[in-house]
Amino acid sequence: MAAESELIIKNGVVFDPINGVKGEQMDLFIRGGKIVEAVSNPKVIDAEGRVVMPGGVDIHAHIAGGKVNSGRLMRPEDGRKGLVPKTKVCRCQSGYSVPNTFATGYRYAMMGYTFVMEAAMPPLAARHTHEEIIDIPILDNAAMPLIDNNWMTLEYIKSGDIDLLAAYIAWMIKATKGYGVKVVNPGGTEAWAWGKNCNLHDAVPTFDVTPAEIVKGLAEATEKYEMPHSIHVHPNMLGHPGNFEVTKATYDLVKGIRPYRDRPTMHATHTQFHSYGGSTWGDFESQAKSIAEYINVNDHMSIDIGSIILGDTTTMTADGPMEYDLYQITGRKWTNCDVELETGSGITPFLYSGKSPVNTIQWAIGQELALLVKDPWKVALTTDHPNAGPFIGYPIIISMLMSKKRRDELAAEVHKAIYDRSELPSIDREYDLNEIAIITRGMAAKTLGLSEHGKGHLGIGADADIAIYDMTPEERDAGKIQKAFLNTKYTIKAGEIVVKDGEVVATPEGRTIFVTPECDQTLMDEMLVTLEDRFDKYYSVTFNNYPVQDHYLPHPYEIKAPWRS
Amino acid sequence: MAELTDVVCSLCGCVCDDIVLEVENNEVVKVKRGACSVGKAKLLGHHRIPSPMIRENGELKEVSYDEAIKKAAEILYKSRRPLLYGWSSTVCEADKVGVELAEELGAVIDNTASVCHGPSVLAIQDVGLPSCTLGEVKNRADLIIYWGANPAYAHANHMKRYSYVSKGFWTEEGKKNKKLVVVDPRKTMTAKMADVFVQIKQGYDYPVFSALRAILRGHADVVPDEVGGVPKEQLMEIAEMVKGAKFVMTFFGMGVTHTGARHNNIVNAIQFTRAAHTHTKASIMPLRGHYNVAGINQVLTWETGFPFAIDMARGYAWYNPGEDSATDCLWRGDCDSAMIIASDPGAHFPGPSLRHMAKIPVIQIDPYANPTTEFADIVIPTAVSGIDAEGSVYRMDNIPIRLRKIIDSDVPTDEEIVGRILTEIRALRAKEVQ
Amino acid sequence: MQTITLKLKDAIVSGVAKVPVEVDALTPDQLFGKSEAEIKAVKVWWGNRQEQTGDLFEVRLAGDAASAEDVKLVFEGDLRRVKRIGEGMKVGEIEARSDVDMHCGAMMEGGKLVVKGSANCWAGREMRGGELVIEGDAEDNLCAMYRGEMTGMTGGKVTVYGNAGELTAQYMAGGEILIKGNANMLAGLNMKGGKITIEGDAKWPGADMTGGEIMVKGATAMMPSFKFVETATVDGAEYKKYLGDLAMGERKAKGTLYVR
Repeated sequence: MAAESELIIKNGVVFDPINGVKGEQMDLFIRGGKIVEAVSNPKVIDAEGRVVMPGGVDIHAHIAGGKVNSGRLMRPEDGRKGLVPKTKVCRCQSGYSVPNTFATGYRYAMMGYTFVMEAAMPPLAARHTHEEIIDIPILDNAAMPLIDNNWMTLEYIKSGDIDLLAAYIAWMIKATKGYGVKVVNPGGTEAWAWGKNCNLHDAVPTFDVTPAEIVKGLAEATEKYEMPHSIHVHPNMLGHPGNFEVTKATYDLVKGIRPYRDRPTMHATHTQFHSYGGSTWGDFESQAKSIAEYINVNDHMSIDIGSIILGDTTTMTADGPMEYDLYQITGRKWTNCDVELETGSGITPFLYSGKSPVNTIQWAIGQELALLVKDPWKVALTTDHPNAGPFIGYPIIISMLMSKKRRDELAAEVHKAIYDRSELPSIDREYDLNEIAIITRGMAAKTLGLSEHGKGHLGIGADADIAIYDMTPEERDAGKIQKAFLNTKYTIKAGEIVVKDGEVVATPEGRTIFVTPECDQTLMDEMLVTLEDRFDKYYSVTFNNYPVQDHYLPHPYEIKAPWRS
Repeated sequence: MAELTDVVCSLCGCVCDDIVLEVENNEVVKVKRGACSVGKAKLLGHHRIPSPMIRENGELKEVSYDEAIKKAAEILYKSRRPLLYGWSSTVCEADKVGVELAEELGAVIDNTASVCHGPSVLAIQDVGLPSCTLGEVKNRADLIIYWGANPAYAHANHMKRYSYVSKGFWTEEGKKNKKLVVVDPRKTMTAKMADVFVQIKQGYDYPVFSALRAILRGHADVVPDEVGGVPKEQLMEIAEMVKGAKFVMTFFGMGVTHTGARHNNIVNAIQFTRAAHTHTKASIMPLRGHYNVAGINQVLTWETGFPFAIDMARGYAWYNPGEDSATDCLWRGDCDSAMIIASDPGAHFPGPSLRHMAKIPVIQIDPYANPTTEFADIVIPTAVSGIDAEGSVYRMDNIPIRLRKIIDSDVPTDEEIVGRILTEIRALRAKEVQ
Repeated sequence: MQTITLKLKDAIVSGVAKVPVEVDALTPDQLFGKSEAEIKAVKVWWGNRQEQTGDLFEVRLAGDAASAEDVKLVFEGDLRRVKRIGEGMKVGEIEARSDVDMHCGAMMEGGKLVVKGSANCWAGREMRGGELVIEGDAEDNLCAMYRGEMTGMTGGKVTVYGNAGELTAQYMAGGEILIKGNANMLAGLNMKGGKITIEGDAKWPGADMTGGEIMVKGATAMMPSFKFVETATVDGAEYKKYLGDLAMGERKAKGTLYVR
């Protein structure tokens, strides 16, 4: 399609929360892939009163890279669940919880999503993440490198050299063409390289720093720059009964740190897994209420929910010890990959069953978090794809948040523990479409700092990434809502129609957005002396072969992050 | 004369990336540091096929690239079950076009894992793989086990870069504070270096792994006095070494993948690692052969969902090694044409597979002549990845490294040639539809 | 009863390459109610192209059927390159009058499938119900799981008159298998339910089993990780009864192995 093609979407009921548009009938004008004020000779789409939203922005999903592909490779039985033959427009598809790259792009686009953040990129294998991303059609994307178990990080935290840590962060984000600072089980994954783990105040073997110190130090170092996004944290003790106290203690760590502008100082991810009460699986219960209360009274945090989709899925995180524990419980196959000087990963399949009291309560917790946090601008809808469930389940969650009736129906089908060990059945609140638009696009775009780069809204100058859902705003039937959010009437990406009537009709390539933190060269040179020494002695690849080459970002978009003055 | 550093070797799964060499007049004239003798030989180069060829009356005759590509496309396009095989000695960029070609043709696409570590992949699909990157081994491992592998011969830099002889953060004294165990039916070069050599009866790895597992899980009492030629005392000794180590690393090779219980040997090796992990940190890794065999597995997996031995006949990937692996397809006489790229089945495939390959049209894409050339009806020479072509490869621990282009040439790359064949096939299809 | 005879044309297997034909579209339940012309028009895959059944097979109908249960398919000709015979069949009967290719009876749920010859690999793969009879040998992976699955056969009854290859019934969870000949290595690998009887010899049966029962009447090459329980008499014959597989740890080892 020519860059200057014009399009008009008329008669849509628009939900654009970033611009305060909460279900207004309005026309949208598109030219050259952007929203513009007026057009002269456009192609016309008549939305006929349907719901129109900016393209979905997913703040956290595992869609590309080493552990994702490990998940695919190890699960041909998942691969064969989603086999779809190629068409004139689309490549072949496979998979359910670990779809192939083509299916990933198509299925997100069919749900009206146009941007996905790859949640965790092991820096040594960043090339792999980017090489897979090249094969994900349609979606714009970014990836967050893991910088919290890295030896350089641990050493600088120990010595208190926050400025040098900031230089290392800058180097790392540039070398991996990453977006920000990802933290996963800080300290614990380095301990796991010896088969151990760390709680928040346990000293990491040999390096002698605690996870608490790591989180605080990384937040301080990150905020040296005008970073679009705060540190993005998967706290310690994921999945352990009683972990909600560690979770809140983790959030407290960054309270005193001033972010560079009005945005959170920490984004805590897949919070469902970190909202557990009780002390064993036997007395396991939801503490979503406690976490939600914390988020309600504190403004330095944002969360995404990591809500469960019942069924079989594949868990994969850099939280190596947690994955080992999970495999010990299920006895299923388990892959582990510790990454020298940096991080690790574990992958194991898991079945969330409505017959299990524990899984039922887990299932309730994600929804409770969304319903008990009052301000939707603090909440993003995720399933930590594929850990709590595949992204293809987002419409199920949307329909449950919007319909108390649907929640009650489903509660009756799962284990009765939901009635006395979670709050969910007693919550009446129902999300409206404006709030859904916030938690599926507006909040993520703002929190990631992408709204000023054209994402997540439909103001003039925004990217023309648009979803037209086949429903009217009055629709209350959960089944119809779910169906509408699964396959759009139209998805438009950069002004081009990519999905029509629930089918992919075009597969343009997306852009990779990366950040360049700008660090003083003297500071950088000082850090490099140490870094090059570590490469020389301990890494198994050379310093010069390490950074991701330009070849791996055929469509780059750079955001600069100057040093704060 | 220019000195080039950080050059990446494109030979074996070690993918050594600290090679220093000298280039003069567009030729590698000296390999100064970093390469083993086999890698050095490759980097210094040897005779390459000078021109595309088509076989006429049993003789290969030189033709243009256009002619060779056109003929290749016609053959593949007409085929009902074309086989696209190899992919392990080229870069991922070429592999991706290959997948597209397989999809376009509805072909069987497979790679050298089928004769190498395919069984390891099958094992991973059964029990997963507790593993790590090679730098972890270098920095932490104090007990190294080579099982059915002879790296001193086949992966010459392995022990000094990554495992037994190497020095790292907690292993500053190199092999001084490490132990090496080698398990093999024969006393190999590597076995001669070992602290403990376990001479196992050929084909009996499977029960030996099970016996070790039973011992590690506290059931030594059920294990008989001898298993697979190994006395119980030695099995007990190995178990004690495992329990006493801080980090046990097992590497395994062809000795276990293609004998006895084959892929179930690897399942059992992994189960042994899992049993060891109840006592101490334990990881395991296959010693991948070709420098990018891991890469084609990665590309196939993320693009189709499955790692090798894939049949695209129905427009999606049907995965079933043993049915759609190249050796099996050829042995059973399934395929009516074959495109062999970046591999040498002529040297490695079993007789019955080769007998069928001799009867069908074969297209070879390779810089070098080799036994497969004897079978080829069309030969298309390409650039050598890592020498006159750059691109992405994955090391044996799945770490991605980019090969550099160190000399110039106008020889087309694998990626280009496969791409041109694909374009030609699409043109044929478009004509037919009209 | 209606009999539908499908005879593979000689031309199909007479080329240099023997490209397999896949007949998963041809089962009693899928063909019930179709006329001869309609059956001939059913598409089947032959390599990377779909062809009409009538172009690959000579088709003959005889008799009537009130339901799919009354339909019998008879496959004739050289079926060594015909894959997926009876795959997923729910009811009715299939008779294959020669050796057959892979995946015969895979995922079958009901009905009866008789192979008057030997079956290639993966016969009865992931079988759920019904009856499968192989008059000759069965090659590797009889009644096994699909790659990556932890559950294979869950129900049904299988009889092999000849020998079975390697990895018979891997991850078996239910159903019954009788091998009248020998079973090559690793029969019942990862077994967790169901019953396997081997009248001939077996090598390393029941490895990694956590449930189910295997009985070997011939000679057995034992795994080194099984625990002798007692001698037991079954149907008048004396066996040594073992518990296994202790390589999985005591908690999981709930499989039973009877050997002579």
